[in-house]
Amino acid sequence: MKPSVEEIGSLLALKRHERPEEGYFDDFLREFHQRRREEEALKAGPSGWLRRASAWFSSLGASKWAYGAGLAYATIMALFLLAPDSAQVQSAPPVPVNYKVAPAEPVAVEQLNALDLRPSSQGSTGEQEF
Amino acid sequence: MPDDPLQPDPDEDLVTRARNGDTRAFDALILKYGEKLYGLVYNMTSHKEDTNDLLQDIFAKAYYSLPRFRGQASFYTWIYQIAVNMTLNFLKKRKRRSGMSLNELDSSAQLDPGLVDSSHMANPEKQSKLHELQKRLNEAMLSLSEAHRTVVTMFDIQGMPHAEIARILKISEGTVRSRLHYAHLHLQSKLQDYWE
Repeated sequence: MKPSVEEIGSLLALKRHERPEEGYFDDFLREFHQRRREEEALKAGPSGWLRRASAWFSSLGASKWAYGAGLAYATIMALFLLAPDSAQVQSAPPVPVNYKVAPAEPVAVEQLNALDLRPSSQGSTGEQEF
Repeated sequence: MPDDPLQPDPDEDLVTRARNGDTRAFDALILKYGEKLYGLVYNMTSHKEDTNDLLQDIFAKAYYSLPRFRGQASFYTWIYQIAVNMTLNFLKKRKRRSGMSLNELDSSAQLDPGLVDSSHMANPEKQSKLHELQKRLNEAMLSLSEAHRTVVTMFDIQGMPHAEIARILKISEGTVRSRLHYAHLHLQSKLQDYWE
């Protein structure tokens, strides 16, 4: 025999009186405050900053993609604007040269003979190593 | 406790004080609604430890979200909605993680014997049969889907009207009624072997 819907309803209504054991909510409140204190301690550190930023970002919903794209664009533009530009480096104005350029004195043959013009060493591609 | 737009929120003072940092005001709200929310979460999860953890998370979420609470609904409706959403999310994750056996769940709840039909107190046999029936009912509740168990918990156990359930779950009243109808039929067939 099946119970009627009313009988099911009455049986279910009995569950309205179910409650946790005595003193449960005293312990619950203690635990609640303990967790808040621990969270405050964590928030104070650098990991707290990251956590808060992450939580804020997550709370944005669908608009987080727009914020993320905007942030990426701003970062790229900032890097672009802050990077040194060769065109912006201005060369110093030409200074008029007012010293005489005297030709080098001819080197005596004896001095040339004293010079060691042999290649000291060469690299693998033929360049001279210093 | 259905929201009446003409009636001020009875918790307005406590909410304002809690929002301004008065922790004792928030404690008062926990004590006021804790039992009701415990009943909701426990009847949906049938697990005491999960109920405790979830209840902590629910009140924590409410605590940190208080600045965003605009008062368009009553505080009770607002926190009840948080509780339902978080519990449903938890149940989805629990289902994905593992198929929990009924043995791991509390099939017999902590029922205050003083509040069971007092006429049966003089009849231990009837008392024992009632307890057995309650145990079978808990098992039958667990065999319902989360969606059906939610409406049964809110309507049959917590006594909420259809309109309030529809508002909290963001479904139509018709959907509430059809889920209840299906859930009752299901419970009827599950209990027929134990009914006299």
